[in-house]
Amino acid sequence: MTNSISKKRGLGFYLHIYRMIVIQDIKSKMSYRSDFIISTVGMIATNVTGFISFWILFRNFPSISGWGYYEMLFLYGFSLISLTPVQCLFDNNWSLRQNVFSGDFIKYYFRPINIFFYYQSEIFDVKGLGQLAFGIGTLVYAWAKLGIPVTVLAVVELVVFLITASLIMIALQNAAAATCFWINNSFYVLDLAYKFRDYAKYPITIFGPVFKFVFTFLIPIAFIAYYPSLVILRPDEIPVLTWLSPVIGLIFFGLSYKFWMLGVRKYNGTGS
Amino acid sequence: MKENNECAIVMKGISKEFKVLNRREGLKGSLLDLFSRDYKTVTAVDDISIEIPRGQIVGYLGPNGAGKSTTIKMMTGVLEPTRGELLVNGAVPYKNRAKNAEKIGVVFGQRSQLWWALPLTESFNILKDIYMIPDQEYKDMLEFYQSLVDIEPLLHKPVRQMSLGQRTLSDILAAFLHNPGIVFLDEPTIGLDVSMKSKIRTLIHALNQEKGTTVILTTHDMGDVDALCRRIVIIDHGKMLYDNDIEHLRRFFGSYRTLKLRLSGDKKAQLEKLTAEIPECSVGITEDEEWITVLVDEEKRKVMDVLSQIQNSYTVRDMQLEEISTEDVIRKIYEDADRENGAASEETEEGSESK
Ligand SMILES: Nc1ncnc2c1ncn2[C@@H]1O[C@H](COP(=O)(O)OP(=O)(O)OP(=O)(O)O)[C@@H](O)[C@H]1O
Ligand SMILES: [Mg+2]
Repeated sequence: MTNSISKKRGLGFYLHIYRMIVIQDIKSKMSYRSDFIISTVGMIATNVTGFISFWILFRNFPSISGWGYYEMLFLYGFSLISLTPVQCLFDNNWSLRQNVFSGDFIKYYFRPINIFFYYQSEIFDVKGLGQLAFGIGTLVYAWAKLGIPVTVLAVVELVVFLITASLIMIALQNAAAATCFWINNSFYVLDLAYKFRDYAKYPITIFGPVFKFVFTFLIPIAFIAYYPSLVILRPDEIPVLTWLSPVIGLIFFGLSYKFWMLGVRKYNGTGS
Repeated sequence: MKENNECAIVMKGISKEFKVLNRREGLKGSLLDLFSRDYKTVTAVDDISIEIPRGQIVGYLGPNGAGKSTTIKMMTGVLEPTRGELLVNGAVPYKNRAKNAEKIGVVFGQRSQLWWALPLTESFNILKDIYMIPDQEYKDMLEFYQSLVDIEPLLHKPVRQMSLGQRTLSDILAAFLHNPGIVFLDEPTIGLDVSMKSKIRTLIHALNQEKGTTVILTTHDMGDVDALCRRIVIIDHGKMLYDNDIEHLRRFFGSYRTLKLRLSGDKKAQLEKLTAEIPECSVGITEDEEWITVLVDEEKRKVMDVLSQIQNSYTVRDMQLEEISTEDVIRKIYEDADRENGAASEETEEGSESK
């Protein structure tokens, strides 16, 4: 009969399961070839038009609030990279409302694994990888043009702050998606959170003091690109907040996870 | 009384209440709803106690909205009971969801749990790793499956390309894959054709026999009950109506006979007319819509008497006399409960709403 000792499921286990699901998912997506080609083309087009509008907007200004063109480009590349994890790994948040509303969400309770993990593992959005390539290209180009010396420390800092920024973006999206456990029209909340990330590309100094406060403390999108980029771009005038941002990133991610799981615990399902 | 550790499931005085917002109409109403505290309490499950020993197949029956799915959701750790004590495999499911999930299998009919885009064999491979099924056990299980139903054509088909029947079959196979102690099946045969139903019944029966799996089965199809369940539990409006052997129930209705008739003319119209003409009997139509059935309690009125009354106003083309069928027993119980409830709820209509 079934053994009574519970089996241990650690990080290695979860990574293994994730890899299995993602490989299968990508394999099956590639088997629908035209789908795959169309979405790849669409992804490239989105990134190119995004870049063109950025270029049209900023090439004529030598500087905005003291930020030069290549510095802006650096921010742009930085934000593209930091938005990749949320796009690739947490895209299923967009379907959460539908799943919760229809009652299909109960199926995630029936496996002996973490529900948040199980739910998010179901979708891996390959399109995000194109955005990653684009972001890296932009960042490297801007870095070279700015003539900032490449040191080991700078690269380590860059990686740490990219992870921080990603965590904050993920946290924002988790929290926004999880509102569907309490309210019906949660789509607007999620959509709003999605739109906010557009502001992440700009230096926070171009906004007025009110928005500066909001984007720092309430909806912390200034941590997605602005505060972390200062470490590389303006090493002389780094605010304390920048050094705190990895901690803030972890805290926000932790809170959003707790909030998501709170929704899971109080979810009642539907009547059928 | 069985010892607790021999029981797969122990429920003591379990209730589940849902708080539902009393919604108002119109735009103004929706705005008011935003701030409303005007909740109504729906009692979906009302003070139910059951003990289920290992290895049993229990038919958990009741009319629509009786509270069957809600009970299963509590047993599987989705919902927390409002009151009462619930142990599944000796643990509280809601507090130990993941641990509980290791030792149970769940199928909610028409709601697949398999990875939509993946071929069945890939889903099985993932499940093998999620449940950490040893290679040999996994291989044996697949061989056992193959000996019961032809799974080979299913294995390489993506779930989303499967028919409803194939998908349900796959979901049931997936639920038993890790050899769980208990499997919950909520309407597994809903929407399936006769041959698929019979395939699924064979499968469940064989797995129960071979692996000793406890099965909790919810269904509206008495064919499932006849094929699989010795014990049935019937609930209605969340309350327990009956919990015993099905044989016992049939004996209880021993004086009942089912008179099956084939009359000329439209069956639906006859059903209505006959219900009015012979109020002391319950009249129905068989599932294949071939026969009109009249359930007669011989203690109240003789079958021959009823038959001759019918012959006076209808042409009887064919007839059969049978012992009471499970279908009829269950319908009788639902109807009797309804009648009592109807009488009771008229009295308490006012008091039933809480703030
Ligand atoms: N999440 C919920 N919120 C509010 N009410 C609910 C919820 N889930 C179930 N109910 C109510 O609880 C009662 C029992 O529902 P349940 O789904 O358990 O019935 P059931 O016996 O499975 O019925 P069926 O045979 O139709 O599937 C119904 O009145 C239903 O409306
Ligand atoms: Mg149900």
